[in-house]
Amino acid sequence: MFFEILRFELRQQWRAPLAWIIAAAFAALAFALASSDVISIGGASGNVLRNAPLVIARLLASLTAPSMLLVTVFVAGAVLRDFEQRTAELMFSTPVSRGAYLGGRFAAGYLTALVVLLLCALAIALGNAMPWIDPLRLGPGEWRGYAWGLGVLVIPDMLFVAALLFALACATRSLLATYLGVIAFFVLHAVAGLLTGDVNHHTLAALLDPFGGRTLAIVTRYWSADESNHRLPVLEGLLLYNRLLWLAISAALWVLAFTLFRTDRDGQAPRAGKRGSVSPLSNVSATAPCPGVQRRDDVRSRWLQLQKMFVFDAVSVLRGVPFLVMLAFGLFNLIAVLAFSQHHDGTPSYPVTRLMLETLRGSYQWLLYIVITFYAGELVWRDRSQRSAEVSDAYPLADWIAPTAKLLTLVTVIVLFLLTGSVVGIGWQLAHDYTRLQLGLYASQLALDAITFVLLAVLAVFLQVVCNNKFLGYLLIILWFASQIGFGLLHWDHHLYDYASTSATPYSDMNGFGHFLTAALWFDLYWACLALALLVLTALLWVRGTGQDLRARLHEARRRMRAPSAIALSAALLGFAGVGGWIYYNTYVLNAYLPDNARLRMQADYEKRYATYRDLPQPRIAAVQAEVDIYPYARRLHIRGHYTLVNRHAAPISELHLSVDPAMRLSALDFAPHDTLREDTRLGYRIYRLTTPLAPGASMRLDFTLDYAPHGFRNDPGDDTFLVANGTFFNSSRFPHVGYQPAQQITDRNDRRTYGLSETVPRMPRLDDAQARANTYIANDADWIAFDTTVSTAPDQIALAPGHLQKSWIAHGRRYFHYAMDRPMLPFFAYLSARYAVRRDTWQGMPIEVYYTPAHAWNVARMIQSVKDSLAYYQANFAPYPFHQVRIAEFPDYANFAQSFASTIPYAESAGFIADLRDRSKLDDVYYATAHEMAHQWWAHQVIGANQQGSPMLSESLAQYSALMVMKHTYGASKMRQFLKYELDGYLAGRATEKIEEQPLAKVENQPYIHYQKGSLAFYALQDYVGENTLDRVLKKFLHDKAFQAPPYTNSAELMDYLDRGTGPTFRPLLDDLFWKITLYDNRITTARAQRLPDGRYRVTLQLHTGKVYVDGQGRETPAHPDLPITVGVFAAGNDGHDGKPLYLQKQVLPPGDSSLTVTVDAPPAQTGIDPYNVLIDRVSSDNRVPVSLP
Amino acid sequence: MLTIRDLSKTYANGVQALRHVSLEIPHGMFGLLGPNGAGKSSLMRTIATLQAPDSGSITLDGRDLLADPHATRRLLGYLPQEFGVYPKVTAEAMLDHYAVLKGVVHKGERRELVEALLRQVNLWDVRKRKLGSYSGGMRQRFGIAQALIGQPRLVIVDEPTAGLDPEERNRFLNLLAEIGERVVVILSTHIVEDVTDLCPRMAIIGQGQVLLSGEPREAIASLEGQVWRRSIEKTELDGYHARMTILSTRLAAGRTLIHVLAEQRPELGFEPVAPDLEDVYFGRLRHQTRAQAA
Repeated sequence: MFFEILRFELRQQWRAPLAWIIAAAFAALAFALASSDVISIGGASGNVLRNAPLVIARLLASLTAPSMLLVTVFVAGAVLRDFEQRTAELMFSTPVSRGAYLGGRFAAGYLTALVVLLLCALAIALGNAMPWIDPLRLGPGEWRGYAWGLGVLVIPDMLFVAALLFALACATRSLLATYLGVIAFFVLHAVAGLLTGDVNHHTLAALLDPFGGRTLAIVTRYWSADESNHRLPVLEGLLLYNRLLWLAISAALWVLAFTLFRTDRDGQAPRAGKRGSVSPLSNVSATAPCPGVQRRDDVRSRWLQLQKMFVFDAVSVLRGVPFLVMLAFGLFNLIAVLAFSQHHDGTPSYPVTRLMLETLRGSYQWLLYIVITFYAGELVWRDRSQRSAEVSDAYPLADWIAPTAKLLTLVTVIVLFLLTGSVVGIGWQLAHDYTRLQLGLYASQLALDAITFVLLAVLAVFLQVVCNNKFLGYLLIILWFASQIGFGLLHWDHHLYDYASTSATPYSDMNGFGHFLTAALWFDLYWACLALALLVLTALLWVRGTGQDLRARLHEARRRMRAPSAIALSAALLGFAGVGGWIYYNTYVLNAYLPDNARLRMQADYEKRYATYRDLPQPRIAAVQAEVDIYPYARRLHIRGHYTLVNRHAAPISELHLSVDPAMRLSALDFAPHDTLREDTRLGYRIYRLTTPLAPGASMRLDFTLDYAPHGFRNDPGDDTFLVANGTFFNSSRFPHVGYQPAQQITDRNDRRTYGLSETVPRMPRLDDAQARANTYIANDADWIAFDTTVSTAPDQIALAPGHLQKSWIAHGRRYFHYAMDRPMLPFFAYLSARYAVRRDTWQGMPIEVYYTPAHAWNVARMIQSVKDSLAYYQANFAPYPFHQVRIAEFPDYANFAQSFASTIPYAESAGFIADLRDRSKLDDVYYATAHEMAHQWWAHQVIGANQQGSPMLSESLAQYSALMVMKHTYGASKMRQFLKYELDGYLAGRATEKIEEQPLAKVENQPYIHYQKGSLAFYALQDYVGENTLDRVLKKFLHDKAFQAPPYTNSAELMDYLDRGTGPTFRPLLDDLFWKITLYDNRITTARAQRLPDGRYRVTLQLHTGKVYVDGQGRETPAHPDLPITVGVFAAGNDGHDGKPLYLQKQVLPPGDSSLTVTVDAPPAQTGIDPYNVLIDRVSSDNRVPVSLP
Repeated sequence: MLTIRDLSKTYANGVQALRHVSLEIPHGMFGLLGPNGAGKSSLMRTIATLQAPDSGSITLDGRDLLADPHATRRLLGYLPQEFGVYPKVTAEAMLDHYAVLKGVVHKGERRELVEALLRQVNLWDVRKRKLGSYSGGMRQRFGIAQALIGQPRLVIVDEPTAGLDPEERNRFLNLLAEIGERVVVILSTHIVEDVTDLCPRMAIIGQGQVLLSGEPREAIASLEGQVWRRSIEKTELDGYHARMTILSTRLAAGRTLIHVLAEQRPELGFEPVAPDLEDVYFGRLRHQTRAQAA
């Protein structure tokens, strides 16, 4: 019987075209993922092969969750079929046992779902075999990944999916309710996923993922390319527990489904309404008079009909379970995201309205896409699915009233949905004692967002009406969503052909919507015109009655096309064309349209044409003098610059090469007599032959005028964010550079291939490349420069640039500032202009100034404190501060970083200014970041490394170290563990995504996870071993010897020599491990037992394990001998999340592998630890500390 | 007078629902008889503007109904064979809503109208109940109430008595008959007695064609002396089928009673019987089947 039911159900499912369509669509997705370079899911990037077993397993894992949306119809369908087809009473009056029935149906649903995924696996294999895939990115074809992925993930996953859907369907008896259950499940899943973001919750997150995808990601989080290419995780630990847990849950769900299943008519559904007695028929006259009424068919009656119909629809939707459920899920998701996401490495942000709105957009509004799609179908089909259309279609109701009422209902849904979200946002703000609510911003941002949704609603209604098939309508809308993604992948990003899309409107608290709003509104108007046309067409094609084919409907539409619709349609189309023309003029004629890959193309062309000039001797910029006029409100920039160029080579220079940012117009150029050999304005490269070559040692003037004055609007803001009404910020990259600029080169190997460049990725010169020491690693056309600038701006703004303020005055209605540097500085400078509030302070006579937006005053005092503490530590331990003041200045959030220029440090809004430091137990990221940027005034602005491997360590790692020391003195060593945990995770996760080759710290090549995160860890460990004072002494000497040096510039090898000499031979192996090798430790305590001694003291016995491996640049590991002394500690109980105080803490050389150790302490021990502060790099840092068991 | 001329409709799946249907329908009740699938509903839907015919014309008192569906709908009261209701809405609210959609915009008038209609179909006492809790008969009465909104000049009711108990059916037909005094009422049914009892005029259609139209009385009279009855054993039935046109068979006291159409007594043992409309109906259908078989 079981097999008969299974066979019958499978036949039902696979005879319907839907099954094949779904399977084909999904397999096509898998094929695309496996064969295209544009999306990379599964971690095949850099050196990880496209068909590595782990990549295949991840790809399969990533497909199981979305498959749920599609297979619902099979699995739930298997349960619901008899109820929907009304065959239930026939079916359940046969002697089929419940077990056979449910078992057969379940097995059929499960098998079908599984087949869809098996087809995906085939599609992945096929995709990997496509001829256009770079053979270098493929390893030997292996079945292991498929077997593992299917066996460990897909087969149990689909069992869970089927069991969940089965239980939902049995409990609710409705496909709709099952779908809602699925959406609810997805929201919960997403919320659980947010936990993954924080390294502290990884174990929980790994267990909570029913699909095991995140578990796999967490288990393999730190895997190197080599491991990813050859290994698959062993089914143990978290992965095993996860699988067992969810298998058990699947079984429980199945049992639940079995129990909930009812064969009777009403199932589990509560009885709807009471059923009273039927009214008697007698005693009322059948001939009661029917009063005469007047029936009208005029404007007023139509208005009333529209109103009635709208209310009728709106009430049904807003009271309906699906809407309320989706709203509830949206809010749940929103609150979860608000609670978990507003953190940056453990530091939360103030709930400023801008962030609330960003969160609303990212975590809440997406549900509206589902709501609109769903209700467009429901509303358009409502009368027909209730079968009341037969009645009302024959009413004398104008054809446009019904579609208009449906659309108004959707608009109401959108508005209410958005309003509800903003109410939660406001509540959240108030709950966090944040009262600057900016209701106007809520209103305007939500209005902008609503436009897109309304446009989508029109499209959805239109498609439902045109194709006159609910599921086809849904499919077309889903296709529209897919096209959004597809267009992006193909770099077709012009909003002129992407329905409902519009120009981005980045909001910044400093600059509001800025000039970006204009473009967005034009695009909105453009699509609104089309939407109006669609609306008219919708009314013309609105179906009444039955059995109409397309021909009849078109005939009917022609009949309905009377003057008003004809006028509206042509006006809409004219508007569409007219606004489209205006947009075309702005985005193609006034501004060049650059798709998002155009920048890469230009970089590639630049390299192809001009890389040949890379080593051409060029004069160097010795002095920069510039008059910079910023017109923030008119968005105009006028720069008159004067360079002093010097020939520091031994031979005369006859050709001058200039690279100018193509976005800037070089409107005048004046220097010694010359011929122009090339003027490439597209790529910004110019070549001039000097009539008289520049003699060695001689200098020349170069005067130039640069203009930036954008007209009209662009398709997207792109990089047009540096000159804005309030918050202009640009740096010296906008100025002309001398010679070929290698910094322009593309460094991604795949991009290089795509754009026809050699696949050898340009890398930093090696440490033994002596020639490379002629330049610093930040400039190839200047050494230390003299700098003097006069900058003018609007009278209500303050303009900033590096240097000491000489004078400030007002002339011609503009405000002028003259800044000058009285000593040479790095050729790296910036200009800022905004309406700033200023807070001034001093530290031992040194002025400290913070320039900020008045609304962002929260952390200014904290920054000033950090500057003071930094000045104190760095001056005492390294060298005096070389400039006359410290300035911190805020810039709008179009970028998110802080950058240190000489004496002047710009911070983005969210890089510190809006961090919420009220909870003192959280990490103080603002204090740390300020100390880091301050440290650059020593490490970069005094000592800068040559253009060689390892130089980023001299700037960034030493700045990290310096800031860590400032922090340690303020917050104490125990707090550092909290911070270093993020650094450790960042490093380990970063190396797992390395694209080229991981370098040891001393040879780092612009690899942020090394020079920031590993830098922190290595220098912190070093000071832990050699002592902070020793390390500072070495650094001080290094700084003293190398500050402001002329070429050849210093490098990391020189610092290593200083460290080697300064710390002595004992630490040579440590220096090797930390700086010259990639070393991973495996230290852990397996057990810790304590015993109370008769004298009241405690004896603690520890079982320890030590291990160490060296790793090469591709991740291949070689076991090594752990020869370092390692700290072992025993701790008292802590409180309030603070670590307990150490009772015993000592470094000792432990034997490799397992060993045991006994120590005696005076107080009750609570915790023990090996390397308890996590200063050594250990992939599993959580097992370094274990609690003591006291019998 | 509703005049239907040469109406034809073929569905996309090839089914010929209407073949050259022509009918003259005067004021009063008009019965449309036919077996399931004969094309009754297609014809009704076409008149009700819910589907367009491939060819042919429909006029009401000289006004072309097909040319302007919107104008036609203003004259129409239509009760489809199958229709649904919004289960969570009360009868009163729904009827009020429908009244607005039919153009009854004056609030006071509408309230009176809704009350009168609900009383007329005897749903007044249960007007506050949700339609989802209505029985089939109550729902049907609600359907007729909505069809009567705004004094339609053309009332079309498609198989309205299916699912009604005898008492409800009587009441319902009385209501129709009353309305039929003033306007054109088309009643489609496959129950012969509905027509016999009520309709001064009728038509029989089968397989999309009009097989007969006229007054029931005339039609019955035309069969006078041609219908014969005999009681037989069940096993003999096949033999009779082969030999003569059997109009109907019925079980009576354990034997089978057959009606046969013949100009003269077909065999010994047959006795003449006064024809009724059912004999007319089956006679026409048998005739059509035979004509096709020939």
